[in-house]
Amino acid sequence: MIIAEQKPIQEIKAMIAGYQKVLIVGCDTCVTICMAGGRKEVGIIASCLRMALQIDRKKPQLIEDCIQRQCEWEFVDTLKDKVDGVDAILSSACGVGVQALAERFPNKPVYPALNTTFMGMPNEHGLWVENCRGCGNCGLGRFGGICPIARCSKGLLNGPCGGSQNGKCEVSKEMDCGWQLIYGRLKTLNQLDQLEDILLPKDWSTDRDKGQRKMFRGDVYYEQTV
Amino acid sequence: MADKVGSVLVIGGGIGGIQTSLDLVESGLKVYLLERTHSIGGVMAQLDKTFPTNDCAMCTISPKLVECGQNLNIEIITNAELGSVAGKAGNFEVEIVKHARYIDDAKCTGCGVCAKSCPIDAIDEYNYGLCERRATYIRYPQAVPRAFGIDKDKCIGCGLCESLCLRDAVIYGDKEQVKKINVGSIILSTGFESFDPALKQDYGYGEYPNVVSSFEFERILSASGPYKGHIFRASDAKMPEKIAWIQCVGSRDRGVERPFCSSVCCTYAVKQAIIAKEHIREGLDTTIFYMDMRTYGKGFEQYFNRAKNEHGVRFVCSRIHTVDPGSDGNLKLVFSDDDGQLREEEFDMLVLSVGFKPTKNVEEFANRLGIKLNEYGFCKTSTFSPIETSRAGVYVAGAAQEPKDIPATVMEASGAAACAEALLAEAKGSQIVKKEYPPEKDVSGLKPRIGVFVCKCGINIAGVVDVPAVTEYAATLPDVAYAEYNLYTCSQDTQVRIKEIIEEKQLNRVIVASCTPRTHEPLFQDTIRLAGLNKYLFEMANVRDQCSWVHASNPEAATEKAKELIRMAVGRAAFLEPLHTIPMSVIRRALVIGGGVAGMNASLSLANQGFEVELVEHEPELGGNIRHIHFTLEGDKPQEYLNSLIEQVQAHKLISVHLESQVKKVSGHVGHFESEVRSKKLEVRKIEHGVVIVATGGVESKPIEYLYGKDDRVITQRELEEHLANSQSTIRNPHSVVMIQCVGSRNEERPYCSRICCTQAVKNALKLKEQNPDTQIYILYRDMRTYGFREEYYYQARKAGVIFIRYDEQAKPVVSNNGRLKVEVKDPILGADVVLQPDMVVLSVAIDSHLENENLAPLLKVTLDASKFFLEAHMKLRPVDFGSDGMFLCGLAHSPKLIEESIAQAQAAAGRAATILNKERVEAGGVVSCVEEKKCVACLTCIRMCPYDVPFINKAGVAEIEAVKCHGCGICASECPAKAIQLLHYRDPQVVAKVDAMFG
Amino acid sequence: MTEHFEPEIVAFCCHYCAYGAADLAGSMRLNYPANVKIVKLPCTGKVDIIYLLKAFEDGADGAYVAGCLEGNCHFIDGNIKAKRRVARAKKLLDEIGIGGERLEMFNMSASMGPRFAEVAREMTERVRGLGPSPLRK
Ligand code: SF4
Ligand code: SF4
Ligand code: FES
Repeated sequence: MIIAEQKPIQEIKAMIAGYQKVLIVGCDTCVTICMAGGRKEVGIIASCLRMALQIDRKKPQLIEDCIQRQCEWEFVDTLKDKVDGVDAILSSACGVGVQALAERFPNKPVYPALNTTFMGMPNEHGLWVENCRGCGNCGLGRFGGICPIARCSKGLLNGPCGGSQNGKCEVSKEMDCGWQLIYGRLKTLNQLDQLEDILLPKDWSTDRDKGQRKMFRGDVYYEQTV
Repeated sequence: MADKVGSVLVIGGGIGGIQTSLDLVESGLKVYLLERTHSIGGVMAQLDKTFPTNDCAMCTISPKLVECGQNLNIEIITNAELGSVAGKAGNFEVEIVKHARYIDDAKCTGCGVCAKSCPIDAIDEYNYGLCERRATYIRYPQAVPRAFGIDKDKCIGCGLCESLCLRDAVIYGDKEQVKKINVGSIILSTGFESFDPALKQDYGYGEYPNVVSSFEFERILSASGPYKGHIFRASDAKMPEKIAWIQCVGSRDRGVERPFCSSVCCTYAVKQAIIAKEHIREGLDTTIFYMDMRTYGKGFEQYFNRAKNEHGVRFVCSRIHTVDPGSDGNLKLVFSDDDGQLREEEFDMLVLSVGFKPTKNVEEFANRLGIKLNEYGFCKTSTFSPIETSRAGVYVAGAAQEPKDIPATVMEASGAAACAEALLAEAKGSQIVKKEYPPEKDVSGLKPRIGVFVCKCGINIAGVVDVPAVTEYAATLPDVAYAEYNLYTCSQDTQVRIKEIIEEKQLNRVIVASCTPRTHEPLFQDTIRLAGLNKYLFEMANVRDQCSWVHASNPEAATEKAKELIRMAVGRAAFLEPLHTIPMSVIRRALVIGGGVAGMNASLSLANQGFEVELVEHEPELGGNIRHIHFTLEGDKPQEYLNSLIEQVQAHKLISVHLESQVKKVSGHVGHFESEVRSKKLEVRKIEHGVVIVATGGVESKPIEYLYGKDDRVITQRELEEHLANSQSTIRNPHSVVMIQCVGSRNEERPYCSRICCTQAVKNALKLKEQNPDTQIYILYRDMRTYGFREEYYYQARKAGVIFIRYDEQAKPVVSNNGRLKVEVKDPILGADVVLQPDMVVLSVAIDSHLENENLAPLLKVTLDASKFFLEAHMKLRPVDFGSDGMFLCGLAHSPKLIEESIAQAQAAAGRAATILNKERVEAGGVVSCVEEKKCVACLTCIRMCPYDVPFINKAGVAEIEAVKCHGCGICASECPAKAIQLLHYRDPQVVAKVDAMFG
Repeated sequence: MTEHFEPEIVAFCCHYCAYGAADLAGSMRLNYPANVKIVKLPCTGKVDIIYLLKAFEDGADGAYVAGCLEGNCHFIDGNIKAKRRVARAKKLLDEIGIGGERLEMFNMSASMGPRFAEVAREMTERVRGLGPSPLRK
């Protein structure tokens, strides 16, 4: 799922300080689960903002809401009436949600309350880790199910850099060496021989550095032509 | 027999008496709880913290005190003694002598106005004379009944209190009364008295002011004690920098006719040293002088180690002979150091760890009751019936039987309840009163109409707070339909009045502004129920304990605060909702896992109370560990006992035994579990039951040291016992034997003490000596832990010539074999190496938890401790309960223990289980958390955060909380990121309304 | 800031220990300032971070959470969870500009009446020193 974290209150405050009436919208999906922007956090953000603005002698009206998924038009549309009455929207969802709101309500300024951090999972309750970069061309089968792009700090695809010590990455002692993990897993699987094949340079054309990526499925996508 | 009486007399209102009373009423028997002093609570109510968790004693006991005080079916008779006893088991006629209290405890509200004005000071016994009280007094602030009494020996009859008491509760002419009752059974929980250290003249107690007894020190440590938790020494009110404890004062001492060990003093000294160090932060020096550290109970050894290694408490193994005055009020001790050198050292303060002795006039008491005492003056029982006295129908629990700690007392208390319940099975329920309530009014959709009753509490509140003004103010608050004040809102006539006003003014919420909900909420809730309101439509404002009493010096501020507190209560009250419990029927059948002594005793106890039992044993026969025990120190015959036990179990028509079977699945909740038991032939049987008792036992560990398994002459104590019991054995008669203690116990792998091995070693040594007095026996030990009356056998062993040599964990004995066995050990007293060449080495090996525990724990969703023994709900007060309702444990599954202790614990588990099985229904709900399914996003937060593993993701893919399992802490509600959970009665709006109202 | 500033302080107390300690302070007639008002909850584990923020939003000058001693929570570890939430709320208050010092977590047993009074005094003094909440100015 998508992991996000709250922006500092002062930063959010600065974005909405000029408005009288603001709608704060949370999302019930990923950001609720990673505890950054669900119904509860919307309440916390609203309360904090009210206080922070009051110190500045401002008394804006903050309306709190939370919808099931901010990245779906149907859910976003349920906000229409509320949006009509406000001066700005503060989205407490991932960047997808923020943009969905911005696109749906082009006349209202939309601001993000969160920083969308990565795709990952909670390793433990309250500790999230990034496990996938969304390169669009998955090679996990080659690496014992551990992604070197996301988990080797140098993104090396043909084995470790040689700088790791005691299983930790030389970039940070806090970080496991991705390649050490891959090695360990392949060893358990008895597939160490896989490492002997040298991988040719990866085809990065599916990666995300080239503008908005699109994907469609003919069997469910019935609109004209793409 | 039709003439059995469904009530029980419990003598002694300490923690044992309290527990037994609560269990008895839950199981349908009425209780008369007789207490010698003005209030229940006993010694536990005088303790500061309790070992080994350092829980506050008052925190843990006070809810039980209140529960006892409020139970309709427990009649507490204070200031009273046993008169005569006639009749027999099932129907005793008892006379109770109730001494004059001079204050009517039914009228007294505990306000304390009388004591404030009383001109006479007297010694405060509750604080062991470290401070004073008045002639009219209450033993301690949380006392139950919450009523004063007059000490007639001190009272000068000035009449002040009588004239001041607004409740007219003072009766100068009060007379002794004799009350006659009929009861089916009698349970003794009369406890103990502490040894008077003045009798040990050499220790200077009473002579040097800075020598105190451990019981006094307990009060000194207490935040509510004479020095408010500050440690001072009496001579100069200085904070001590060096404190020493002397152990075994009045214990293990033939000189003062206290030959037995008091069992608890070692661990309490450890506790006091730790707590003292916490009180005096800057490097308090603590030293404990001991003979043997007897930290044998569950978790005690680890506690002792923490004291030593983490807290830096110094332990010196040396018997102190005299205490001499030193400089500056200090005390001078002479002792022999670890290396055997004599040393002299001064301490600022000395604590004497005094032992237990039987209560005063115990012989006469025993005569009246017709029970036998043992040679020490404690109540006589036997190994296999540890709770039964010599008179049928009279049971004993706690330190009246032998010195023991709180968990053991609490266990026996539940066990004694079980015995009485079995005796009186057919009379259960016959004397229980149940209150009838009118049907509940439906208040849903009605606009709140709040009634506020402000209490003057005599002058307790009104003397500081302007009650009329506050009442007037309350009437102006939103939704308040009515407000008035009363002299005593808790008095009986006010209850009638509240009820009338609810009807008359059509109130649907009620607020009482008075004392604390902790004691009085149930009373008022009951009143509004009588008026047809749900009890959750009630709210209290604490304007006495948390206002008038603490702001007496500032009446204006107090009045203002009282208004605010009422405003807050009103704010919340408007949001209150009725809550209902859902009755869930109880399957009156128990599943007992484990067919050893504990499991069989628990089964029999339940079956004798009339409940069905399914007993599951994984081995092909019943018996467990006792199959290997052939004799006891007290001369019992374990095998005969075992055979009769098995016979009884097999013959009992309510018990079904499943041998070679294992529990494979458990689901459900208290009152209704469904389990699958699989036999060896893989047949699966489904069992529905209301409770589970875990009695999986323990196992003797296999030693890996001292040549065990490599040399046939090295055997375990249990193997030796088998040889001794077997007349055919060739090695029954060795010339010389070395026994090594603590093999595999008290080390890193098993940080606990296996508890039974010292007793077992002494037992086998005596047996060897009995067979041949010339056998040379050496016991190499770290601490001899023959606690309680077992000390006598330790003494006899020494008298019989058994040689005891202490060894240090760092310098363990070495066993080698070059033809002959050789044992080398360093004797710290001689400071020399001792070389022994025995025929046989006997190892006292550790007790391990049963392997099965690790399979069972996840099935039952209960916890194991670090050593894989099952973990009880609370070390002190719930020693046989699991954290999850309806599940209990006993025997070695809990921790290593002796047979008599296992039996007592098994009966306790049965007693606790019966409190559930006895009910037709358990009530689920009330203050529990609820998931609003539509909001739940299945994030798993609640599942991970609930301390009791209650929430789960259900078939619909959302979290679900079963009301019957939820403990109502509200943790999940405050963690849920989707705000999908609310804790009923503490819903967010209900809490926030209160906060909002504070600010007007 | 006025000369005689009397701060308004909310104390969220667990039913078992802290509330008991407050009652005991009463039985022992220990004096403490009248500024502190208690909101009773079954356990400090029920103290939602939003309650803490709400208190300040409503105008509290200070607030604290008082639960059982660590390791002695009647619901195992509610107080540990509360402690973490208090830490977060303190950070938020700092960010907002109200100041995290106005909020604190305390632990006490039911027999620590004197400690309850001491904490009430301590917090009152602390908050008095900090002056009224910036929201009330
Ligand atoms: S914490 Fe809330 S959202 Fe998450 S699973 Fe539990 S009830 Fe559902
Ligand atoms: S209220 Fe407490 S016990 Fe009940 S489900 Fe929630 S966390 Fe578990
Ligand atoms: S019950 Fe006191 S903090 Fe949990």
